[in-house]
Amino acid sequence: MLPELLQGVDTGGLLVIQDSASYSGRHLLQSFINAALNREEAVHVLGFEVSEEELKDGLRGSPVQRLHFHNAYTDPLGWTDHPAFTVHQFCLGELTRLVKQTSHSKPATLVIDSLSWILRHVSTPDVCRTLQQLRKGGAVRSIIGLLHADMHQRGTVGSVCHSATSVITVEPAMRGDEAVAKITKRSKSGKVIQDEEIFRIKDDLTVVVQSKFSKGAKKADSEEQETDPTANLTFNLRLSDTEREAKQKLALPFVFSKEKKTALLHSGPGSGRIHYEPDANDDYDQEDPDDDLDV
Amino acid sequence: MYTELNSILNTTPDSFTQGEFVLLSDRQSDASFLIHHFLSLYLRARCKVCFVGLVQSFNHYSAISQRMGVSLTQAKEKGQLVFLEGQKESLSVLIPQENDTGSQAMDFLRDPSVGLKSLYEFVRSAVSSNGEEAGDGSEEWGPPVLLVDDLSVLLSLGVSAGAVLDFSHYCRAIVCSQLQGNVVMLVRCDGEGEEDEGDDEGSERLMKGLTHQCSLTLHVQGLPTGYCRDIHGQVEVCWRRRQGDGQYTQKKLFQYKVHDKGASFFAPGTSSAVL
Repeated sequence: MLPELLQGVDTGGLLVIQDSASYSGRHLLQSFINAALNREEAVHVLGFEVSEEELKDGLRGSPVQRLHFHNAYTDPLGWTDHPAFTVHQFCLGELTRLVKQTSHSKPATLVIDSLSWILRHVSTPDVCRTLQQLRKGGAVRSIIGLLHADMHQRGTVGSVCHSATSVITVEPAMRGDEAVAKITKRSKSGKVIQDEEIFRIKDDLTVVVQSKFSKGAKKADSEEQETDPTANLTFNLRLSDTEREAKQKLALPFVFSKEKKTALLHSGPGSGRIHYEPDANDDYDQEDPDDDLDV
Repeated sequence: MYTELNSILNTTPDSFTQGEFVLLSDRQSDASFLIHHFLSLYLRARCKVCFVGLVQSFNHYSAISQRMGVSLTQAKEKGQLVFLEGQKESLSVLIPQENDTGSQAMDFLRDPSVGLKSLYEFVRSAVSSNGEEAGDGSEEWGPPVLLVDDLSVLLSLGVSAGAVLDFSHYCRAIVCSQLQGNVVMLVRCDGEGEEDEGDDEGSERLMKGLTHQCSLTLHVQGLPTGYCRDIHGQVEVCWRRRQGDGQYTQKKLFQYKVHDKGASFFAPGTSSAVL
């Protein structure tokens, strides 16, 4: 699904790329910018977090003439006298004016880097409202935003993603240069599609999907052949015939045969004998009390 | 400076990456020994250093740097080092006297909700005044470097995490991007706090925000197995942005031991006490 999304976000759509401190989603964001530039679309980048040089440095090889970078990085809070774009200018009117400054035949794609910066200074309802207005407004064709999910409360992240038509959550994968993307796409008919893929971004910013990530995909354990544990030993486990005979003849110490039993119970000559003369009170039973012993 | 750390980070006083934002962090440990490394490294590299020392006095850093072969007093006299001694300046804010020249850098103590704009103004004037003064005899220094020790104490002084993140953003914008210098900041965390407790302000949020902004992190922790006399802890080095070949995050883990005159770093399990 990732390549489909890269081919173009639907008109009026909002794509949110969620990342965390363990894996930065900016690289994927640059892939989206690169894909849009290659489709000959105009891209407006509202840059709060990285400078223009740094962003364009990652986009080497892309046709950057159609890329318009709006500098909100050097002075986003108006601490100097002449701020280029401050975070408080994030509203429908200002953004429409910004995008319409460079006249293009087709409506442009707006890339926001990042939504987290704006959410720190502008309240969540205002941000969501502005995004919604931009989507319906017509000045921009589609919006792509980067959101650092671990910097906000879950409610904030949830609210922003709720107004998005597609959400891609990126996390690090087992291998260093790969990442896992969890994609949720809401189509206009209301159907929600979810997918999980492992991808890798090549040097020219194209995305290669390595495999479909499925949790239960274990390789079917091929039945291992039963190995004979008595093979290849340094000692001999087998018995020769004479040894087998001797083993069967051996009388085990606590298994009583009839002869052994009588020999034990009726002691031989020379050993002490017990004379018992019962008293008047004794209940003497003539029967052998050990008779029912099954030994 | 610690030679082993230099080889791990691939830096020497003569050649180091410019425009880097280095984040030093620790969790229930003490990463301030790394601040001394970067201070002596950049002073030896003849950079113009602006040091915002909020937690210790000037003499503390001076004494330790002396042991590492760098004289802070001399650097200050020559104009190479601009030192903001937070503790002394804060006294002049809290107990104002008539003959106070006083920079307004620590004005946020009076009203923390205002933010750190005045502290940023101090940093900006310190790093931008490189070679602007009348140049008779004043030497040309290299790219500017900002060191902050440490950011977490600002949270304790009532400044919100958002304001500290704004401050670090502006410092990065002017020092790294505009002047091609480096920024080194220390942030400290206590407790395990990995979960989002719903606490919007706090050291965890500050740490995550700074991690997103920086290009290199060095995270110091104790050994997971407990106290050891010969190994004082572990350092996880994480390169977040690599120019050129690929941009995947690269992580390396080392163990360290702090000596009287330096610190040694080694791969886990190869401590000299063990081998």
